[in-house]
Amino acid sequence: MAGRGKLIAVIGDEDTVTGFLLGGIGELNKNRKPNFLVVEKDTSITEIEETFKSFLARNDIAIILINQFIAEMIRHAIDAHMESIPAVLEIPSKEHPYDASKDSILRRAKGMFSAEDFR
Amino acid sequence: MGVLRPEESCLLLDEKLLYFMDQLELLEEKRKTLNSLIEQGWFSISKARYSMGNKQVSALQFANEMEPLVSVHVRTLQNDKVEFCAERSSQKCNDEFVKEPTPIEDIGPQEEGIRRRKTTKSDTAEKKTSEDISSEKSPEVNPGRKRDHNPQQDPLKWFGILVPQSLKQAQSSFKQVIELSAEIAALQIVVLNARQELKRDLRNNDGSTGPEANASAGLNEKEEDVPSANESL
Repeated sequence: MAGRGKLIAVIGDEDTVTGFLLGGIGELNKNRKPNFLVVEKDTSITEIEETFKSFLARNDIAIILINQFIAEMIRHAIDAHMESIPAVLEIPSKEHPYDASKDSILRRAKGMFSAEDFR
Repeated sequence: MGVLRPEESCLLLDEKLLYFMDQLELLEEKRKTLNSLIEQGWFSISKARYSMGNKQVSALQFANEMEPLVSVHVRTLQNDKVEFCAERSSQKCNDEFVKEPTPIEDIGPQEEGIRRRKTTKSDTAEKKTSEDISSEKSPEVNPGRKRDHNPQQDPLKWFGILVPQSLKQAQSSFKQVIELSAEIAALQIVVLNARQELKRDLRNNDGSTGPEANASAGLNEKEEDVPSANESL
């Protein structure tokens, strides 16, 4: 277990998840829950949030990749996550290009610059 | 001594700010590369879907059992930096399974043996040898079959034996994306840590230089008053 390494999880639309599974990050067996979630039009926000929180609770996931439009749906849950591991990476989707102003990490990094800091 | 400390701390702050900006710029560049690689991957998947058919490249093709081929090793360093190292396991593990001899029913060669039995009686000797050969072949063929059952296989095989080049291109794009993701994850943590450090130092600097600056300004004013008083006299 020590030398096994951690997993990369992905929450995204079908093409995104297909692509990353082609890359070889997928884990699916009878014992454990999968490390990916395909979000379709009828997937509820509750299910997405529960899956995201379950990935955070697992100690064998190092990186969570999530389409930015899905991240917007559960923005409160992502903003509440302050730990370094697992790292949350927002990626674009086919219909929604990447917007740096919506990224939680970049908002935290850029938000410090206020007029009071440089008086 | 009291005058040097604010200058030194300001220089330190400037260095930290420049470091923070450099890391932010690096993060933005890597993000651009990541996004363009992902888009390339989608385009290749769409091309593969066009040639293979809509339902041939979809979530329906995912295997029932998967083992991850990529593992991420996480190391926390002394500076609160976290290193992510994405390692791709080679498929040499398949050889280990080959060595384990568990019997699996092999229908192919036995069927050929059965087919040969339909010939005349004079061929019975030949059939016996062919049966021997088929029984010898079965343990050799089993490892090949085992590779099919082994979950740690190339995910390309989920989509068929002969897949178009575009699907392979999609796979290679996403493999690069995975490696970049590990680098970006580490950079994000560096950027956030640098930002927190900078904010903390700014607060400390305001706290330490505020009252000292007022005191030194007051002293300077008094020094200016004395010569002017002397000059007037």
